Amino acid sequence: MNYSNLTWRHFENPGCSGVLAGAGVRRGAAGSRAQGTWVQFDVRMRSLNERPTIETVRFLAYACPHVIAVADWLAQEAAGRPAEPVLPESVHALRRRFLVPIEKLGRLLVVEDAWIAALTSPYQEGSA
Amino acid sequence: MTGARKAVYLDYAATTPVDPRVALRMAECLTQEGAFGNPGSTSHDYGEAARALVEEARGQVAAAVGAVPADIVWTSGATEANNLALFGVANHQRGSGRHIVTSRTEHKAVLDPCRELERRGWRVTYLTPGRAGLIDAAQVAEALKPDTVLVSIMHVNNEIGVVQDIAAIAAVCAAHGAARLHVDAAQSIGKCPLDFARLGLDLLSLSAHKSYGPKGVGALVVSRARGVQLEALQLGGGQERNLRSGTVATHQVVGMGTAFELAAAEWSVENPRIALLRERLWRGLDRLRGVQRNGEAQHTAAQLLNVSFEGVEGESLLAAVRSSIAVSTGSACSSSSQEASYVLRALGRDERLAESSLRFSLGRFTTEAEVDTAIEAVVRAVTRLREVAGSHTGS
Repeated sequence: MNYSNLTWRHFENPGCSGVLAGAGVRRGAAGSRAQGTWVQFDVRMRSLNERPTIETVRFLAYACPHVIAVADWLAQEAAGRPAEPVLPESVHALRRRFLVPIEKLGRLLVVEDAWIAALTSPYQEGSA
Repeated sequence: MTGARKAVYLDYAATTPVDPRVALRMAECLTQEGAFGNPGSTSHDYGEAARALVEEARGQVAAAVGAVPADIVWTSGATEANNLALFGVANHQRGSGRHIVTSRTEHKAVLDPCRELERRGWRVTYLTPGRAGLIDAAQVAEALKPDTVLVSIMHVNNEIGVVQDIAAIAAVCAAHGAARLHVDAAQSIGKCPLDFARLGLDLLSLSAHKSYGPKGVGALVVSRARGVQLEALQLGGGQERNLRSGTVATHQVVGMGTAFELAAAEWSVENPRIALLRERLWRGLDRLRGVQRNGEAQHTAAQLLNVSFEGVEGESLLAAVRSSIAVSTGSACSSSSQEASYVLRALGRDERLAESSLRFSLGRFTTEAEVDTAIEAVVRAVTRLREVAGSHTGS
């Protein structure tokens, strides 16, 4: 399979992979390893007032290079944005940005589900 | 390919480079000074010269597999040879029987013709190998019916390298009496000796490009001594005992003959060297936790190592190593998705593990340094992908 340069860059150097812990962290995941695609986001909020913003995002992904690259890009792009359960751009726009084959659209929806799950989840145990 | 550096080639089971000695002989058949004539044109010296080379090559191929030269029928490769064997026997025997026995782990060049024959009214029994990939001769015996006309079992599996006990299966077929035995030996030459006549085989498919010969040429060995009869699939000229019409490509068959002669001559030195390299590779990969070797070492050909890596997704694994090593997943890839290897699935591997498997196939030009590069690349990639996947953190 051929991948775009953007996909290669994020797949080979996923700077935002990992997990977060501590105060103000929300975690959400979607998909399953058994089905071949699983994504988890940890999102740390900048403040806990009525309009929190995203400070840091980390992700884990058992997935193809496209999904890993999109998750990494999202994690980078989200910093500083309002902590709302919506992607910075639509799944279709992400598909075009990363030149993801249409057959893999379902995998990008797993990324979206994980993102929404993280932003709507309660804070992790032990968090503020 | 990303990066300027060439990846280490460990996909010899897919194809091999042409040996320079083979290329030299082939080139001699192409130009005006060489044997460029049509080997069917025996009315002049040009044709006679080409014909002599074709017959020399026929002898070389026959000698490499323990057959007689007259048994060799040139084809465009093992796929055509398999098709000719399956359709040729089935069509010729349609009046006496319509049952075929094969295994679930055959190459698609056998499985797809079998499925087509099923559509045309034949019955096909697909044997399931044990977890090691081996077909027991007793399974074949049990599957044989009074109207079985053909048993088709490969010698060396192209994905995991397991070597079937062809002698035992041949004995079962001989006891049956009516069932012809076809063996796909595309991966065998220079790796696992096979004696066509001594084993009492009826049909044998061969490929040149898996053994340092050119692509686009192969052969079907058809036993005259055993009275095997086929219906031709290709008409128009009557070449190759009327079994495969079309001008014989002198340079291609000369390449195949030379490659097979070299394989037979160098096998005893080359194979142990490759076996040592393969074990070096396995020991290096086995340092990673969560790896499984597919196919037992004692039952696999020396050049093949198939390994499943737990906790990594298959497409990502292949992408992560591809700038460093050229390997295959052993799965059928399309532009948008990966299909888990049907061979590994038939051996009982779950779909995810089957997808995250790599087939390393070593060859004549593989070096110790290349194996070490491969180990380093795979260990690095698997470790990184497991970290990204949080594979030991659960999901």
